[in-house]
Amino acid sequence: MSILLYGLNHESAPLELRERLVVPEGDLVAAVGRLAGSSGVEEGLILSTCNRTELLVHGPTASAEHTVKRFLLDSGRATSEELERHCYLHADRDAVRHLFRVASSLDSMIVGEPQILGQIKEAYAAAHAAGGLKSVLDSLLQRAFSVAKKVRTETGIAKAPVSIAHAAAARAHEIFGDLAHSAVLVVGAGKMARIAAQHVAANGVRTVRVLNRSYQRAAELALELHGTSVSWDRLSEELVRADVVIVSTGAPHHIVTLEDAAPIARQRRGRPLFFVDIAMPRNVDPRVNDLDNVYVYDIDDLKGVAEAGLRERRQEALAAEQIVERETTAYLDWLRSLEVTPTIVDLRSHLHALGAAELERFRARLGPLTPGQQQALEEFETALMDKVLHHPIQALKRSTARPGAGTLIAFLREAFGLDGRGPGTRKS
Amino acid sequence: MDAGLACLRAALLFYALGFLAAIAPLLSEARRRAAAFAPWLAAGGAACHTVALLALGWSLNRCPLATVPEILSALSWASVLIYLAVWWRYRIDVLHVTILPLAIVVLVISKVMPGEVLPVAASMRGPLLKLHLTAIILGVGALSITFAASLVYVIVDRGLKAKRPARFFVPLPSLERCDRIGRVSLLWAHPLLTFGIVTGAVINESLTGSPWAWQPKETLAVLAWVLLGVVLAARLGWGWRGRKAALLTILGFSMVFLRMLGI
Repeated sequence: MSILLYGLNHESAPLELRERLVVPEGDLVAAVGRLAGSSGVEEGLILSTCNRTELLVHGPTASAEHTVKRFLLDSGRATSEELERHCYLHADRDAVRHLFRVASSLDSMIVGEPQILGQIKEAYAAAHAAGGLKSVLDSLLQRAFSVAKKVRTETGIAKAPVSIAHAAAARAHEIFGDLAHSAVLVVGAGKMARIAAQHVAANGVRTVRVLNRSYQRAAELALELHGTSVSWDRLSEELVRADVVIVSTGAPHHIVTLEDAAPIARQRRGRPLFFVDIAMPRNVDPRVNDLDNVYVYDIDDLKGVAEAGLRERRQEALAAEQIVERETTAYLDWLRSLEVTPTIVDLRSHLHALGAAELERFRARLGPLTPGQQQALEEFETALMDKVLHHPIQALKRSTARPGAGTLIAFLREAFGLDGRGPGTRKS
Repeated sequence: MDAGLACLRAALLFYALGFLAAIAPLLSEARRRAAAFAPWLAAGGAACHTVALLALGWSLNRCPLATVPEILSALSWASVLIYLAVWWRYRIDVLHVTILPLAIVVLVISKVMPGEVLPVAASMRGPLLKLHLTAIILGVGALSITFAASLVYVIVDRGLKAKRPARFFVPLPSLERCDRIGRVSLLWAHPLLTFGIVTGAVINESLTGSPWAWQPKETLAVLAWVLLGVVLAARLGWGWRGRKAALLTILGFSMVFLRMLGI
């Protein structure tokens, strides 16, 4: 049995491939259901954000590996060559460490950004709803949450949270200087749009307008940002007026195409227009960046700005990596201790049952015994068996700290006949 | 004369030191504070330059604007003074690394130019000629700021388009700021150049009988004036701005610069 993690992230795969493999929020529960219901998989979870799509499963090694690989291929959104080139497969220790790093935001495009933990919690909830979680993955995820919290509180990694929103705000400053005279247009009213708009608007901007297909949600976000909401059909007019446009809708296509943007750019007469496209898949045609005085930044583009923050916090990241490493070891020890516990219990009950049975057999030959003698005999049996059990149990406990516990378990079960029948067959 | 030459060399040295101080943080982190001296070194250079011009005028016993080297030297001096004023107002460090090299180049070129006195009708060596030269020198000085702002605009724009931070020796101002400085400085430069060209035509007429000689260098000046005028009109009347405006301004300044070298 293994814990396997298969998928791709912002380092292993280009944005365009990541976009294709995103599992939409609405489909997540059904998708996890399919994954966990596949043959050779006992438990499953899917983490799908704009920066990564990862499958986490628990099951027999060979079949689980086959299943996760088939799962992405069967989605029909990537070829086997692409998956071969851009996906990674981590097993056991590597898988646990990877999950802990992701949860602690060490594997994020922007190290220390706080959104990833929420995204993992959503993935966890979806996997729960789909019945994809049992004891192993459930405990692993719980542990991941506590590791993330530990990293957050014990290191300074989150103290200067440079997020995509921060990076976007930095770029806006390069174009507009201070943003006091800038008009911000927010297209989409989702979580990412809100975070980015809050960061940009925190600098004090002239106006904030929110545009969303659902007017109700636009109005809510506008209220939160002290802005005004605008109906969806006025997108073109608003693009002529705006300076910074934050685009993050769930639409699976380009909302702003080159054909839309060209006349808008002309009407602006050279006034710079800055698109922050944090939607996944992208909502602004990347070719719009080729228009004069129009700048389109997607998540990958904002990475460059974010990396400067990483250097400053390299020390903190190092401390965080150490926490992750320690916690990975602790978790695996705990997991293996789960493996040896049934054997220890079986061994104890088996040998004590043997002793009790033999005592019963020989007691008749001793004639009538006083209660004191009876008790002494029972104590003798217990002490003898505990002596016999001492070394095997210690060996089992020690084996949890290193790989190969399974071999010792198998050997002891065989040697003591724990899985067989005979005198003193195990009671459990 | 010797004192004047010494002062001119000192000015050149100060300008060069100012430029080096401005780019010092680029060479090592430890030299970060050196950049703060750049405007003071430039100001020291401008002071030496002023003394040099005065000494030259004193020794020649006339206004030191009669030969090509003299006019180029005055142009270089004016652009440094205007840049210092703009820097004082806006604190844009990138001017150190754009205007100072320009001033150095013009000053060095002035040393290799032929030094004969330009032919001007005796009747015109009065206030009109002084006004003409003053307007042209201040106009070109202001235009050098427009040029610097436009150049930086194009550099920042390229960095933004290429999705990596633009680098040009020092921290760069925002696009918005470059555009604003380009607009305001052109608003000063163009009327001065207009006045300079009109007075130049009047002087020409008194010299040759025709306001316009149709020599290539004069045609170049008028073309540059028309181009910059169109840019300014579009900026003011139509709200035009951005990269193309910056590129046309750079082209206009280059034409003016060539015209000045061909005085």
